[in-house]
Amino acid sequence: MPPVIDKDKCIACGVCVTICPQDVFWGSEERQIPMVSYGEECWHCNACVLECPGEGAIRLRIPLPAQICYK
Amino acid sequence: MREETVTTDVLVVGGGIAGLMAAIRAAELGTRVVLVEKANTLRSGAGATGNDHFMCYIPEYHGPDIEPWIDQSPMIQERGNIRSRHYVRTLMEKSFDIVKLWDSWGIPMKPTGKWECTGHTIPGFPNLATLKYAGQNQKPILTREARDRGVEIVNRVTVFDLLQDDSGVYGAIGTGTWEEKVVVFRAGSVVLTTGICTRLYPGPTPGWMFNMADPPSTTGEGRAMAYRAGAELVSMEMPRRWAGPKYFARCGKGTWIGVVRDHEDKPVGPYVTEPDRRYGDVIGDQFASLFEERMRDGRGPVYMDCRGISEEDYAYMMWGLSNEGNSATINHINEEGIDIRKNPVEFMTYELSTRGGILFNEKGETSLDGLFAAGDEYFGGIGGAAVVGWFAGDNSARRAGNIGRPVADRTDPQMEEKSTLPDRIRSREAGATWQEVSAALTQVMHDYAGAVRSESLLRAGLTHLLRLKQTAYNQVIATNQHELMHCLEVLSLFDVGESVFLSALERKETREDYVRADYPFKDRRYDDRVVICKKENGQPRTEWRKVK
Repeated sequence: MPPVIDKDKCIACGVCVTICPQDVFWGSEERQIPMVSYGEECWHCNACVLECPGEGAIRLRIPLPAQICYK
Repeated sequence: MREETVTTDVLVVGGGIAGLMAAIRAAELGTRVVLVEKANTLRSGAGATGNDHFMCYIPEYHGPDIEPWIDQSPMIQERGNIRSRHYVRTLMEKSFDIVKLWDSWGIPMKPTGKWECTGHTIPGFPNLATLKYAGQNQKPILTREARDRGVEIVNRVTVFDLLQDDSGVYGAIGTGTWEEKVVVFRAGSVVLTTGICTRLYPGPTPGWMFNMADPPSTTGEGRAMAYRAGAELVSMEMPRRWAGPKYFARCGKGTWIGVVRDHEDKPVGPYVTEPDRRYGDVIGDQFASLFEERMRDGRGPVYMDCRGISEEDYAYMMWGLSNEGNSATINHINEEGIDIRKNPVEFMTYELSTRGGILFNEKGETSLDGLFAAGDEYFGGIGGAAVVGWFAGDNSARRAGNIGRPVADRTDPQMEEKSTLPDRIRSREAGATWQEVSAALTQVMHDYAGAVRSESLLRAGLTHLLRLKQTAYNQVIATNQHELMHCLEVLSLFDVGESVFLSALERKETREDYVRADYPFKDRRYDDRVVICKKENGQPRTEWRKVK
């Protein structure tokens, strides 16, 4: 499930919850560490990673079926 | 569910590039503008974390004669007579003004210090007038500009139907994706800008339905709402294929600077033999389905091979990818230890969709009074979305000031049925989840209106689709507002699918990647024509129309 939040670095500002176009963090409470309610709906647009004010507080874990093929 | 009413002059449905530009322009003219968006305009739509390749004509860069650049436009070059010359000229003539406007707002339109159109180009031929720009923060900037002009932005409300009476369209109805509420919007004019249509066909990964080439939040509601209201749709039968990294589905291959090569390192196309930022490799533009075909016939896989790229072009490509919304792709490549200067990346043909959409002209007018559309409601691209969005905002504002009839007095005869749909879905205790309905829909689209079509397949598929649609309306369930949003999306996709089937039955020929097994040849009588699909008195009909 793509977004992975580092609870030690997250400041619970809610920016990712506000902006996520897929609403992956649906149902998260204000001033709480966000819940990843619909991780399987993440499109890996990276908006949450780009907007997060905390360095390394959120990253995407790319699911196995979306791993790039290369040689 | 509690009901709210919002009254305004102009209602814009969808807060992507086209929607924000429409809202910005309409508000500039002094009209009250409400923009409703199912996510948040800061990072929604196909431009959420960036785009590049803004189609435009820049006299100081392209030269004083606009005509060759109209000829080169993707809207002229694309399959299926996308647009008339008049439409493209109007767009191109205005495009530089909009480019300068964006640059002045802080969207870097010449980030390398000069105008630069690269990629999507055949060596020796003019490029497609696609400006490379730095779009990563375009959405927060356009949102700020809209707010500065007084646009009221309503986020996290998904609009699922239009309101109309015998005088035309006068509003829309939506429901909260966070809050349990129904919102009735009454407006002098309505602009549909809901974007691309994804999730009509299965994506690259069975069972992982959000791995899509285009953003899976854009599901064709604009087309469906317009179709139900009786507006004309166009070219719905024409397939849209795109290609890119396998299996990390993502449009944006025009930024890759490499050579499309087979497994023996032989170039697949005739255009380039080494990476060059000026060109890319347009074989993947012209035959996006080649990757799929070569897997099917055993000649695959096919790679985007960037070996031999100069350090300067490599840096340019990585910068370009990060600015067109592919920063997660770059992170993934880095985390996996892939070095695309050494490792060719396999490409694939992504899922089917439709090239077609709502028929709107260069003013953003649709065939219905009071209803406007722009952007990817029908092949917008970034430049098309920005420029025609602006025109649609201009014209919808002028129209809203001239309706002469208070919107508060207007009544949609189907209001009760429309406004109770969210509650009907939410109140069911048992039934089909939206995922179940979506699986049934994409299955029938893939099997009966897929890459190869015929009269017998289309007739059988349409019959099944219509049965499924009826069942879905009666049985789909949602336990919260997020699921409700997906239910409404998939119900709308049935209408989009219906129009694909009906339009395909009308096009009895084979033309590029539109394949009819029972009509294997191109019919030249259709060279300058498109298929129109619309409902009249509730009954669907199709017709051919000449592109002027």
